[in-house]
Amino acid sequence: MGREHLTNDEFFTQLGNLFELNRKKGHGSIILTQKRLTYDSTSTPPTPTKVADDPLWDTHPENPLPILIRACNNKSSKREGTDRDDVEKIALSTIVKPDDLDGFFARYAEACKTGMSGLKKRDRKKGKKGKKDKKKGAAGETKA
Amino acid sequence: MPYFKTSAEWYEQSSLLLKARPSSTRITSKYAVRKPTAAKIKKREKYAAKQPEKPADLTRTSSPPPQSQSPDEPTTTFTLKTYDPESGTCLQYETNKAAEVGRLVGNLGRLGRSMAALPEAPEDASAPAGSGDGVSTPKPEESGDVKMGGVPSTSAPAATGGKKKKKGKK
Repeated sequence: MGREHLTNDEFFTQLGNLFELNRKKGHGSIILTQKRLTYDSTSTPPTPTKVADDPLWDTHPENPLPILIRACNNKSSKREGTDRDDVEKIALSTIVKPDDLDGFFARYAEACKTGMSGLKKRDRKKGKKGKKDKKKGAAGETKA
Repeated sequence: MPYFKTSAEWYEQSSLLLKARPSSTRITSKYAVRKPTAAKIKKREKYAAKQPEKPADLTRTSSPPPQSQSPDEPTTTFTLKTYDPESGTCLQYETNKAAEVGRLVGNLGRLGRSMAALPEAPEDASAPAGSGDGVSTPKPEESGDVKMGGVPSTSAPAATGGKKKKKGKK
């Protein structure tokens, strides 16, 4: 793909916008992809080099490899009789270095949690009642 | 292309696939909000019309079922898909619960580690992602199973353990 990769920070702001757009629209999808980045344009040999003798050549590379993260929305086109409108496809991508992986995914999880607001919330009423009972029971047990 | 019943199962199988083919496997997660079709709206209306008769018999005050859903409310899903184009393996898991997202993305992070050819995630690093949203995952057992020799049968108790915990919390 010809487009340039964003930095991790930019990626998160753009991802936030993407979720926001989706929320405003009321429907639509967000697609997130992650994969190993095996081809690096800056260094000459693609890492790791394929070894003909070893069929499992890619299972044990010498160095940790970066990960490519992509995000996009769905393109939609105007349709009469519905509230569908022309929406351009927005595609984002970023590269996560192996060292930043844990930090990135912590932020990623937060971004997804806030962005995916359409999913079903937990049933609060039911949950609370159960929890209280449990807590009382647990407290009694520990005391006794 | 199977849909797994539990996310733990999905995680385990995905991790095995990733170990076998780390360079070609990709993980796609899709958050989709869809408007229901006309047929679906009709079906929901029918269901809603039927509903009020039932609770009267049961006289259960505590938990009115999700009747708040209006017929034309969009359907929202979060689907995880691990796909390896070389072998054509495709593993999927789908949920509609917001509470699971944090844990699932945490799983993505742990799978990302093996993608990046880093060693297995240390327990403490992966713990906050799981515990943050209050849904517990059987972490230690899981990461034990993930080793190449892991037999699917050993994972079963781990998965059920997680379920039990969840039930207890609610």
